[in-house]
Amino acid sequence: MSTEKIVEATDISLAYRRTRHRVSSLKQTAIDTIKGRMAYEEFFALRNVSFEIARGETVSIIGRNGAGKSTLLKVIARVLPPTNGRVIVRGDVAPMIELGAGFNPELTGAENIILYGTLLGRTPKQMQSRIEAIADWAGLTEHLDIPIRAYSSGMTARLAFATATDVTPDLLLIDEILSVGDEDFREKSAARTLAMMNSGCAVLLVSHDLEAVRTMSSRAIYLENGNQKISGNPNDVIEAYLADVHH
Amino acid sequence: MKVYDSAARQIPVVSQVKSIYENRGLLRLLVVRDLTVRYKRSVIGVWWSLLNPLFTTAVLYYVFNTVFKSRLPGQAPFLPYLLSGVLLITLFNQSLTLGADAIASGAGVLTKVYIRPEIFAASASISSGINFLIGLVPLTIVLAIYRKTPTWHFPIVLLVIGCMVLFTTGLSLLLAIAYINFDDSRSLINIFLMALQYMTPIFYPITLLGPHTRDVIQLNPLYSFLQIFRREFGNVGISTLQNWEIMFGCSIIAFVGGFYIFSKRWPKVVAKL
Repeated sequence: MSTEKIVEATDISLAYRRTRHRVSSLKQTAIDTIKGRMAYEEFFALRNVSFEIARGETVSIIGRNGAGKSTLLKVIARVLPPTNGRVIVRGDVAPMIELGAGFNPELTGAENIILYGTLLGRTPKQMQSRIEAIADWAGLTEHLDIPIRAYSSGMTARLAFATATDVTPDLLLIDEILSVGDEDFREKSAARTLAMMNSGCAVLLVSHDLEAVRTMSSRAIYLENGNQKISGNPNDVIEAYLADVHH
Repeated sequence: MKVYDSAARQIPVVSQVKSIYENRGLLRLLVVRDLTVRYKRSVIGVWWSLLNPLFTTAVLYYVFNTVFKSRLPGQAPFLPYLLSGVLLITLFNQSLTLGADAIASGAGVLTKVYIRPEIFAASASISSGINFLIGLVPLTIVLAIYRKTPTWHFPIVLLVIGCMVLFTTGLSLLLAIAYINFDDSRSLINIFLMALQYMTPIFYPITLLGPHTRDVIQLNPLYSFLQIFRREFGNVGISTLQNWEIMFGCSIIAFVGGFYIFSKRWPKVVAKL
């Protein structure tokens, strides 16, 4: 089953209409409308991007800021429907999201594990049975019953990381590889991320860390202004990207 | 195995409601979270959440009963009339703004993970509904002061809450879109909510108004919700068939309309978050 396609993205484009002056207030919108200055433009965040990820493969996306990397992750994560083209994703998707988004400071560690895990697509029942294992791995067993508002930022990050990485999904979405906490935990979390990436799931990695991209990915895609400039062997793609950057 | 196919056709409203049902585990969890945060963590617990409506009622009672010496027709007791109004308007405001805030501030999660934001709106409305049920305890006490009891048909209030959940879930989705699109929409919304409050007979009897104003006020959906609630719970005032029609009609229109518009607008909005 190693050739099973987890992600099939065919010719995907994402366009949205935005106002030329990026107004975001009612006042300005009203003034501009009255003065007839309300100009919209079609903005393509992605244009005709195609790729596939099979089980066990890691595909990396590189490119400058604003090239559409995060937008692409959102499209694959099902958050944004593509304007054109088609995306098919088979199986469970897990994003490594900003640690602690979705946590509630007033709830206890245990309650947050259940809430966070459920937000990430697991069931409350599954999470209930995993509380101890997760807390143990994060080294927070003794702090499970206190509200996480009393946690240090390192503790919160450890709890979030441990919860997010507790299961191995079919597709893992990574926006920059996270390393959290103190030196010990940093190593531990990096090792766990690597283990997950090597566990046979499909991985879509967005990163500015070109060394990580070179060593970890099966293929790379270089996005420029939403266009897929070059894709294929990571070394070639990185070379092309660096040539552009240094130009 | 779950398969996501972006080309699969989604029927608006139906697919959204189905998704909420499929994620009822998360919905329940969010409701419990809201209630836990509101009750368990404060020293006086449940009573804390009632403090706001009770205090508002006390102030309004003093102003209108003592300062302005206003009287309801037929010497009906003012306090139960006032408290039921305050409780209902609190339910409306709370459901609406909590739901919209949850979505507008949920960017960290909603832009990264596929969760229908409608679930957040629904959970805010449901937990506010439960909060409202707790508020019926002080209302019962106030009724008792005037030697009255809740009616034998008071469970019909659950129907009013159900309609309010549909009504505010739909509206809060629209409000969330306004919040995200326009930074300055909050203050305008607050003014609008205040106007709506004054257009609801919370502390005045509708008979106080001239016929034309009265016609306008009667079209305010909250008026119908309130008349039915007062009548069905404490036998205060009267409710008409028109009130029921407006309550059901507005709830369904707000729910279906809100969900439909949201399904069309959300993909454009989430790109901005």
